[in-house]
Amino acid sequence: MNSIFFGILTILSLFIFMKLGKIKASKKQMNRDDRINWSKRRKSSVQESRDGSKIIEGSAEEIDDETKQ
Amino acid sequence: MSKHSALNTFGRSGNPAFTRNFENTESFSQTERMTLDGAVNKTAILLGLCFAGAFAGWNVPALTIPGLIIGTILAFVTIFRSPAKAGSTAPFYAAFEGMALGGITVFAEMQYPGIGIQAIGLTFGILASLLFCYKSGIIKPTENFRLMLFSATMGIFLLYLVSFIMSFFGPGIGFIHSNGIFGIGFSLFVVGIAALNLVLDFDFIEDGAEKGLPKYMEWYGAFSLMVTLVWLYIEILRLLMKLRSR
Repeated sequence: MNSIFFGILTILSLFIFMKLGKIKASKKQMNRDDRINWSKRRKSSVQESRDGSKIIEGSAEEIDDETKQ
Repeated sequence: MSKHSALNTFGRSGNPAFTRNFENTESFSQTERMTLDGAVNKTAILLGLCFAGAFAGWNVPALTIPGLIIGTILAFVTIFRSPAKAGSTAPFYAAFEGMALGGITVFAEMQYPGIGIQAIGLTFGILASLLFCYKSGIIKPTENFRLMLFSATMGIFLLYLVSFIMSFFGPGIGFIHSNGIFGIGFSLFVVGIAALNLVLDFDFIEDGAEKGLPKYMEWYGAFSLMVTLVWLYIEILRLLMKLRSR
């Protein structure tokens, strides 16, 4: 009985996977602003230059003596 | 650039197979592009090879260790080589990993009869139900979702690694393998994390098909799905063994 139940579950699940997998996801899923951007290139914030020195991306901020204090 | 510095530094996915970059898709014709049909069909091929390997491993349990070692090596080769070559290694990965799973399942079956079909049923049940949740938009993977999964997956990996190393010098981290409340709770947590990694796999394939990535990415997506399914199956088997041993 146990084997029959889980056997049917396996076959049914595989059938669902084969059918549902080929259907496009709903608009609710696809048209979101917070979707994962898989195509975005993995880009480190630290880029190594040819001579091995590290250049950190970001805006430079000038610090004068008054700010330091 | 993501607002999460961890994502920028360590990559953007919990699944190491997804940390590779996408190629420029503009130069590919329509027939050379990734589709959902193709990815699903290739996953079915890999599953078929995995079942064939499992049949061999089930009948010849001596194939378990070689299957596990060769399968792991092929997984790393597929991940770290160019995704364009995934089609040549992923089928072999599925077959060898299947051998290992077949052997592991025989050992589990000897102790707890009927546990193998339960684990297979639950694994595919989770696959189908999560696919439905993803397609219908009930579960929406976001950058935060991916960061959370990445952290949890890496945490589990490190814990297993430390436990493995410690096992050479003593009992290792015993509580994660125990059949007590904590051990079962830990296994449930790991099953949950492995299952949620499936959602990232679905999103990767869906996004790839939508953006028209090159055809070989179908093999890469199918391979990623197989890696997660194998992990999920092993964790479910461990959980069921803990529950049955009580």
